[in-house]
Amino acid sequence: MSKIAEKKIHHQNSIWKTIKKATTKNSEWPDKDEFLDVIYWARQIIGLIAGLLWGLIPLKGLFGLGLFLVLNAVVLYAYFTNFQQIDEEEFGGTWELTKEGFVTSLAGFLVMWIIIYSGMHFD
Amino acid sequence: MWSDTFLIVFISICTALLGEGLTWLLVYRTEKYQKLKVEIEKSSKKLEKRKEAHGDSVDKQQKKKIERVEEKLKINNRDLSMVKMKSMFAIGFAFTALLSMFNNIFDGRVVARLPFTPIPWVQGLSHRNLTGDNYTECSFIFLYILCTMSIRQNIQKLLGFAPSRMVNKQNGSLFGPQPQQFK
Repeated sequence: MSKIAEKKIHHQNSIWKTIKKATTKNSEWPDKDEFLDVIYWARQIIGLIAGLLWGLIPLKGLFGLGLFLVLNAVVLYAYFTNFQQIDEEEFGGTWELTKEGFVTSLAGFLVMWIIIYSGMHFD
Repeated sequence: MWSDTFLIVFISICTALLGEGLTWLLVYRTEKYQKLKVEIEKSSKKLEKRKEAHGDSVDKQQKKKIERVEEKLKINNRDLSMVKMKSMFAIGFAFTALLSMFNNIFDGRVVARLPFTPIPWVQGLSHRNLTGDNYTECSFIFLYILCTMSIRQNIQKLLGFAPSRMVNKQNGSLFGPQPQQFK
């Protein structure tokens, strides 16, 4: 087997391992970057799903935007404090974890919200 | 409206890939960049460890050592920016031309409806080149910028080109790596 193919398989395996760890309660996270990546991608997924829902319902105005910001912060906060029960200080505090991927997820949310809202309710 | 919005998402995926491709060609694959990157990451880690271990100590020798690593990191970071600069210029030119072309294509066209009224200082962007004062109408440039913010960063991350967190932390940026271009 070529080296590149081997690398690819190894990479896929490590992604599956990370997903499994992320969905298991109280996992150990010796690699800080791995956990921060989980938080990052979780935020992006939440952004896209919320954008889709907000556009379909549709939620509008400052309420829609505010609700997303609160939901995004609270869901992830609950995830790392209750579900994974990590020590926040190890990762530089709650703020450090809350801002991980926040801006990108906000942009993704806005794009999804605007596209679905425009497409479903205007022509 | 579907066709316009999807087209804009497609355009920003293409420009993000083009931007990363060009940067790879001009920067990422060069030996100098790779060497600098490894060095910066190494010294960032070293600095972090030193600071953790001797953060509050008043030991002069340790302080001097930390300062020396910091100085080296600064120089390396500066060199890295110089290496990146060349390609940033090339990409900047290419994207300014592309953007003005897209601006002409979408000139005066309402590409989407915003589910909110933007605050006044964003309205200049979200209502650019549009007539009337219905500020929920969205111009090409606003949606394109949002798409780029989200897509480029995620593509960088997927391809492994995003700068590491440790380096960002040492550089003291507040919101992590931002896409370097909206053009």
